[in-house]
Amino acid sequence: MEFAELIKTPRADNVVLHCPFHLAVEGTLCLTGHHLIFSSRRQDNAEELWLLHSNIDSIEKRFVGSLGTIIIKCKDLRIIQLDIPGMEECLNIASSIEALSTLDSVTLMYPFFYRPMFEVLEDGWSSFLLEQEFELLSSVTNEWRLSCVNKEFSVCPSYPPVVIVPKSIDDEALRKVALFRHGGRFPVLSYYHKKNGMAMLRSSQPLTGTNGRRCKEDEKLINATLRSGRRGFVIDTRPLAVAQQARAKGGGFEQEVHYPQWRRIHKYIERFNILQESFIKLVEACNDQSHNMDRWLSKLEASNWLTHIKELLTAACLAAQCIDRESASVLVHGSEGTDSTLQVTSLAQIILDPRCRTIRGFEALVVREWLQAGHPFQQRCAQSAYSNSKQKWEAPVFLLFLECVWQIHRQFPCSFEFNEQFLIMLFEHAYASQFGTFLGNNENERAKLKLPQKTMSLWSWVNRPEELSRFQNPLYEANSLVIWPSVAPQSLQLWEGVFLRWNRPSKFLEEAEVERINIIKYNKELQAKVNALRRQLAEMEANEEVQEEP
Amino acid sequence: LLRSSQPLTGPNRRRCREDEKLLGTILDEGERGFIIDTRSAQAAKQARMSGGGTEPKSSYPQWRRLHRALDRGRQLQESFIRLVEACSDPSLSMDRWLARLDSSRWLGHVKAALSTACLAAQCLDREDSKVLVHGAEGTDTTLLVTALAQLILDPSCRTLEGFQGLLQREWIEAGHPFHLRCARSASSHARGKQEAPLFLLFLDCVWQLSRQFPFSLEFGEQLLLTLFDNAYASAFGTFLCNNEKERSVLCKVKESTHSLWAWLNQPEEKHKYLNPLYSHNPLVIWPSVEPQSIQLWQGLFLRWIRPSQHLDEAWAEIQKLVQGN
Repeated sequence: MEFAELIKTPRADNVVLHCPFHLAVEGTLCLTGHHLIFSSRRQDNAEELWLLHSNIDSIEKRFVGSLGTIIIKCKDLRIIQLDIPGMEECLNIASSIEALSTLDSVTLMYPFFYRPMFEVLEDGWSSFLLEQEFELLSSVTNEWRLSCVNKEFSVCPSYPPVVIVPKSIDDEALRKVALFRHGGRFPVLSYYHKKNGMAMLRSSQPLTGTNGRRCKEDEKLINATLRSGRRGFVIDTRPLAVAQQARAKGGGFEQEVHYPQWRRIHKYIERFNILQESFIKLVEACNDQSHNMDRWLSKLEASNWLTHIKELLTAACLAAQCIDRESASVLVHGSEGTDSTLQVTSLAQIILDPRCRTIRGFEALVVREWLQAGHPFQQRCAQSAYSNSKQKWEAPVFLLFLECVWQIHRQFPCSFEFNEQFLIMLFEHAYASQFGTFLGNNENERAKLKLPQKTMSLWSWVNRPEELSRFQNPLYEANSLVIWPSVAPQSLQLWEGVFLRWNRPSKFLEEAEVERINIIKYNKELQAKVNALRRQLAEMEANEEVQEEP
Repeated sequence: LLRSSQPLTGPNRRRCREDEKLLGTILDEGERGFIIDTRSAQAAKQARMSGGGTEPKSSYPQWRRLHRALDRGRQLQESFIRLVEACSDPSLSMDRWLARLDSSRWLGHVKAALSTACLAAQCLDREDSKVLVHGAEGTDTTLLVTALAQLILDPSCRTLEGFQGLLQREWIEAGHPFHLRCARSASSHARGKQEAPLFLLFLDCVWQLSRQFPFSLEFGEQLLLTLFDNAYASAFGTFLCNNEKERSVLCKVKESTHSLWAWLNQPEEKHKYLNPLYSHNPLVIWPSVEPQSIQLWQGLFLRWIRPSQHLDEAWAEIQKLVQGN
């Protein structure tokens, strides 16, 4: 299938582009297989806009006389407008864009065609392997082992080929446990807290069903993480009623009679489809131009978005408290174990583990707890807040996690090696990217699509020094603390950097950030000068002493 | 930019030729001016019954009147109390918090004040027209508008020294009744009649400006917090009394008390209040008054509720670096 077949009109002249914060500018529009390109012929500097078709959520067409207008709403929440002279041209371009932005097959997406213009120093596809994580782990404890039971993805299709499980559980037992958990997602190690040797596991719901099925191997697995005589906590991200009802459909929860050492806590996190509605309402409120304070606040409240933030932060704090304060092991799961479960485990690690607050540590966290753990990115990020079509699997689960990280970042501005721009960049690439990192729903699909061979990894690009410098937090000071965020509603703010990005000019705020970085850079240069001068002085004094000797 | 109080037109439509002459001479031949009345059109009309009123078109033909209703007095104090109550309960659900934030209407007051100040500034800067601002007494919302408009228009008001001058001129000497307005704050049980957080509302608006224009004010949030504290309770005499008459005649404030400005401007103190990112901006700064752009001033309203230790440390670090450089 040739892209050319889908492009009715590859080029249009005298098109006027309206972009947020820019004056309307006239130029030429081009459509390629993957991009919408606009370039203006201005005297001072040629302005170009390159938009990935995969970044387009929905388009609207309007006609006034023979002038057609296409309004493009993007997944990164930007809205741009193109005025195209000529009704037929406008219609052709609109239908071309629609066709190109709604391609079904993953292999037609840009990452398969992208050729990097930079030198690849490090292959991001092999930067964060679980084997490397395990090596780090085995230097502090020998209670765990790496299991390859899933190497053909036959035991759990949404898990990676290797997982970390308690040493005392063999592969045979894992196979049995997989039959007892929704989607085969048996409990695996998510995080090991070096301070006190406590573990956080994650899984999906147990398939107890109405008959109260049990699986002795499952019980043995999670009990293996308990210290003798100690209790563990199961954090179920569904309300009790929902967990109980799940039994009627074959699911359920860990029953006290079979898991006597585990105490179950229900900490409700909204299901992904509700989250999508929330997202849509919030973006709509942010775009509301009615200038009315009451309307804004009541629409903000009605979206419930900030409530979701608070819920997730609270659940993550709870998991972290159980591990750090109660010195107990924790098992986290919801129903499928692919959405709220991963939100809680990854956020809890931000709270507990200083390594996750470094740039590489955070990248490793995203790779481990989201990509390898099988969060269905392809489904969840297929559409964003402007989509017209019926939503089924789409939800901003990852965005909610990124926003919670930002909330904590705001409360602890010196504790993160990366800055806000880093988080926004990850949000953008999850929805539309030239890199293959966020394609596919799990490692199984990624292997089948041969992504590591056919596409470039986001990490290969981000971790280059030129790029990395944009994402560093100048105030970062490494600390080894557990950081406890406030979850009081008054402390939580709307993430302007994402939701109001295109509505209010943030030029000054960005400039302020650049200025801060410059101040710190200058300070380091001066410090280096001082040190050099001190050394010179010391040498001169030493020489003088030598000369003084007869 | 002129300010006054309401004309005492009264039910008999009194006139004062001297007042008309004063306002007349300010405008050139054929020039138009704007009167910004901080009362609603209805309230201004009703004021005539009690002896007040508005400038009638027939007597002030060159002046066009605009009404921008700004809440003051009891309503503003209630708003303040409701907001502080909402902030003091960290165990609220997000829904309840947002609902209470909304029903306090405080952010609406901030938006209204900034909008009106922008209007005055626009008339002066964009329409090249002179402006007269007044409400009823001319001691509350009037001063709020004129002071904010000057911050928008005049870069010299945005320096530390200029800002102090602005406060001295447009609030203290202009006769804002600090003693009455700042007698009680948000937690008092006594429901007085004269308390109202106009000055706090002004400081909140200044904070919104500093957030939107991080380079343009020579001073930082710490100064605004210090001013808020001193307006309500102070070791210094600067905010005492209600007007210059009381200060000089009744209380002899200059002779018997120390000035806040003298203390703030000492080198050891001053550096705490400076904005390390300041760089002189000669332009007019137009704030966004979209509701989405206006935020709760956490540094003030959540000051004792959420630990800001890390944020303070971050700020101190920046200051240290700038000084070190």
